[in-house]
Amino acid sequence: MLKFDFVYLLEQIPKLVPYLDITFLVLILTLFFGTILGFILAAWKLGIRPILSKLAYAFTTAMRCTPSIVLLFLVYYGLPALASIFAFDLNDLSKLFFVVTAFSLSFGNVMSEIIRSSYLAVEKGQYEAAVSVGLTRFDAFRRIILPQAAVVALPNIINSILTLLKEGSLAYTIGLIDVMGKANLLIAMNYEAHALETLLALSFIYWSISIIIEKANELLEQRLSKGRTFVKTV
Amino acid sequence: MQTLDLHFMWEAFFIALSGAPITLLITVVALLISIPVGFFFSLIRLNGTPILDQLCRIYISFVRGTPLIIQIFLIYNVMPILLERFLRSTHSTLSVFDVNPIWYAFVVFSLYTIAILTEVFRSALKTVQKSQLEAAHSVGLSTCAAYRRIIIPQALVTALPNLCNATTNLIKNTSLCYALSLREITLRAKVAANPGYNYIEAYIDIFLVYLLICSLVEYGFKKYEKKLKAYQCLSA
Repeated sequence: MLKFDFVYLLEQIPKLVPYLDITFLVLILTLFFGTILGFILAAWKLGIRPILSKLAYAFTTAMRCTPSIVLLFLVYYGLPALASIFAFDLNDLSKLFFVVTAFSLSFGNVMSEIIRSSYLAVEKGQYEAAVSVGLTRFDAFRRIILPQAAVVALPNIINSILTLLKEGSLAYTIGLIDVMGKANLLIAMNYEAHALETLLALSFIYWSISIIIEKANELLEQRLSKGRTFVKTV
Repeated sequence: MQTLDLHFMWEAFFIALSGAPITLLITVVALLISIPVGFFFSLIRLNGTPILDQLCRIYISFVRGTPLIIQIFLIYNVMPILLERFLRSTHSTLSVFDVNPIWYAFVVFSLYTIAILTEVFRSALKTVQKSQLEAAHSVGLSTCAAYRRIIIPQALVTALPNLCNATTNLIKNTSLCYALSLREITLRAKVAANPGYNYIEAYIDIFLVYLLICSLVEYGFKKYEKKLKAYQCLSA
């Protein structure tokens, strides 16, 4: 009969925590590239060129229906093959590159929907008013639209960051050693003897990060809604 | 220079498609279990029943705060131990190793979906004003009848888009069943790709199958949503 070893569980936590840096590196790089992609896609969707907006919407539909693990493998196997047609060699690239590319695609898609809906949530009159007092189009966007849209978008953005953090754990499937990958190695090293304790330690690490992000989200929402003034437009 | 093996791709598409019934079976079983339980849990959360509310909160926070793949591994490690103990106590001749992994999948995805749906139902029930229940009471409906005829139809309108999202996410997440060595869409196509290293073709096929299934499900929900719009409370 297997016995549950609580001390072993506690011992696993310090072994796993150092590998959080890779997890966070993936998270931050994905956030960066995903946000850029999100802005581009949102601009296409809202833009006047029908071909680009159709393309962006098709991308969204495709992404929404793809499991992240399938996307990850599609990028991992497909990208080097695609590059080899154009005589580029991507086979020696770090696994980090493929993980970040795959998650940027899916996160960029989520971001594009968030940006689009929050942009639409700001009234058109705000933009017209800004332009009428002499701001350039870019200034109107940067100083008037963006700050207001950001407040609307923030809870959704944080929610999708949480999803990203959890889906990021799948990176172990192509051999990236982050917390999840390390936990798998630890389990394999012990011949599956203490799998349960290691997995519980791992889930506690993820759980605490999620709780911290959620609490930060709540505080931020309170702060932001405090200064907001609602203008009646009837 | 490498080109896609179209012949293999065509064949593997149907191999992947043959895994769809298992994917759908897991989805349907998980939904059938978690819709009533999730609804019950959301009522506990809304009423703030002492102890039970806190337990629900911890459970939901854990499920939503940890990656699904870890939950799958956890169940895969815990269940056989519990099951073995149970089988030994009942002096059954069955062995743990005879258990089809699909049972583990049912457990994992039900537990996961209950947590998601509890939140969906909670936010949907919140949008229905309390006066609706009071009005129903005042005309002599019982609480049960009021929920069935007045509250739920209205709440369903707001819940449906989220329910659709939860369902498509569930379908996508069943691809993680490879960890349970369950032969569904992903694993079938992967195994078919093994001899010839045709992984790209196999993954394109898997992608197409999921695209097909999810689009159909979304289309169905959109249709139903239009029908339900009749119940929407206009003076919200």
